[in-house]
Amino acid sequence: MSRRTPEAATLRVIDFGRVSALRSQTLWHAVAHGVSAGEPPTLSFVRPAEPYVCLGYHRRLDEVDQAYCTAEGLPIYRRMVGGGPVYLDADQLFFQICLPAGSVSPARTAALRDLLTPALGAYRAAGVAAELDDNMEITVGEAKICGHGAGQVENAVVVCGNLIERFDHERATSILRLPDPTMRAEVLRMMRRFVNPTPADPEEFQRAAVEAYAGALGLTAEPGELTELERAAVEELDEQFTSESWIAGPQGRRRPPAREVKIRAGVWVFAAEHEDARVVASVVGDSVERARFRTSTPSDDLYGDLRAAEAAMAGVTLAKAPAVLAGFGSTGRQLAAAFAAADGKSL
Amino acid sequence: MTNGNTTRNESLVEVRGYQVALDRLYHADSHMWVKPVRPGEVRVGLDPLGVETSGTLAQLSFANVGDQVAPGRAFGQLEAAKFVGPLVSPVSGTVARVNDAVLADPGLAERDPLGAGWLVDLSGTDEVELARLLGSPDEITDWFARTVDEYRLKGVIAE
Repeated sequence: MSRRTPEAATLRVIDFGRVSALRSQTLWHAVAHGVSAGEPPTLSFVRPAEPYVCLGYHRRLDEVDQAYCTAEGLPIYRRMVGGGPVYLDADQLFFQICLPAGSVSPARTAALRDLLTPALGAYRAAGVAAELDDNMEITVGEAKICGHGAGQVENAVVVCGNLIERFDHERATSILRLPDPTMRAEVLRMMRRFVNPTPADPEEFQRAAVEAYAGALGLTAEPGELTELERAAVEELDEQFTSESWIAGPQGRRRPPAREVKIRAGVWVFAAEHEDARVVASVVGDSVERARFRTSTPSDDLYGDLRAAEAAMAGVTLAKAPAVLAGFGSTGRQLAAAFAAADGKSL
Repeated sequence: MTNGNTTRNESLVEVRGYQVALDRLYHADSHMWVKPVRPGEVRVGLDPLGVETSGTLAQLSFANVGDQVAPGRAFGQLEAAKFVGPLVSPVSGTVARVNDAVLADPGLAERDPLGAGWLVDLSGTDEVELARLLGSPDEITDWFARTVDEYRLKGVIAE
C-alpha cells in the first residue's frame, strides 16, 4: 500500500491525549476535514476523559437506553463512521488513520483491510497475538479486541479503532435499549465471550502503530498539530455533534422487525415475536447458538415442549430453522415466523 | 470500438460478466447511472461496479425530498462493512422522490441495481449536465470494460 508522493511524504501524528467525550469525537472529524482540504495523511490518538455512548452514523437513537444514559450521566454522540451504538471510556485508547480518499482502494473492503493491517502489526508488536479474520475483525481467538469503524468525510477516508485496556461489559450492555431481560442476559453473555480487552501497554501500542502505519503507507512520521482551519472545524463540529438533529440521525431508516444486536462480525443476538410466540436467540456464523422461546398461550401440541424446541435449535442454521420448528406444531410455526423476522443484514 | 465480450439483449448487455443497461446515462467517477423517467425528472442509481466495490450494503440514507443536490456532492450515505461513504450525485437537481423500498432493504440495490434498487429521483436537472454523461452504447460498454479490467488488474475486484 506504499503510495509515497512528493506532496504527501509525511504522516502527521497527533496525540490529543485525554480530552472531553465530545472532543474525543470532534477532534478527529476535524482532522478528516483538514486532510480532505490537503493536510497530510494523519494518524491520531485520543482518550476520552469521561465515559459516553456513541452511535454509528446510520443507527437509530432508540437503540440506546436514553433513560439509563441520562441517569448515569452518559452523553450520547453520533459519529460519521459506521457500526452500532457503543460504550466508550477512559480505559480505551482510540486511534484514527486518515488519508485522502483517492489514495485508498475504491473497494471498501480492501480499503478497510489495508488500513486495519498496520493496526494488527501494532497489536502484535505490543505483544498481543492478534489476527485480522475473514470478517475483518481484529481478534484474539474468537473474541474481537478492537472496535473499528470507517467512513469518508468529504474527500478523506478515516478508519478508527481502539485498544481496549479494560472493558465494562455490563455497562456496554446496559446502554442498549433491549426488549426484555432474557435478551439483555444473552447480549451480556455473548459480549463477555466475544469482546475482550487486551493487556498491551498503551504507550508501546501507540509507538508501534506510528511505526506500522508510516511503514505501510511509505511515509515519514512527524509529530503535528491541528491547523487553524481544523481548529475552526472543531468548534463547528462541537456545535453540530451536540445538535438534536445530528444526534437524532438521518431520517427514513427502516426499523427492523426484530431487535438485533451485533456483538462482533458474524455474531449477533436478536429478539423477535410473531403472534403469541417470542424468540431470543444468539447466532454465530449462520447457526443458532442458543434459542429461548416463550409463548403467552402455548398450544396443546407444544405444551411442555418449549424447552425441547430450544434444544432442537442449537446448531441449526437460520435457513433450516423453519423446518426444525415445523415439527413443533402451530406454535412452532409461529416461532418460525418470528425467526424469519431476523436477518442481521442491517448490523 | 465494440467490446468483444459483450452480448446484447435489448437494453441490457453483459460486459466483462456484469449486466449493464444501455437505456440510460452513466457518470464514471461516481459509478451512478441516470435515467430520464418522466418529463423533467431523472432517476439515479448505483451502477454494478459501484455496488461491487461497496460490499454488502447494510444501511442507506438519502437527502430529504425537496433538498437540492449538486454534482459531485453527496445526496445520501451508504454503509457497508461499517464503512460509511457518500452517495455522490452525478448531476444537480431537487430530490423529488426517494426509493422507500431500497431504504427498507438496502440489499435491493445489490440484487437489482439497474431496476428496483434505484435510489432517488431528481427534478430540474440541467440538460447540459446530462449531455456530459456517458450515453452512447459504445461509450458505455468501452468505459465499463476498461474500468473492470483496471479494477481487476489492481485487485480492486475479483477476477
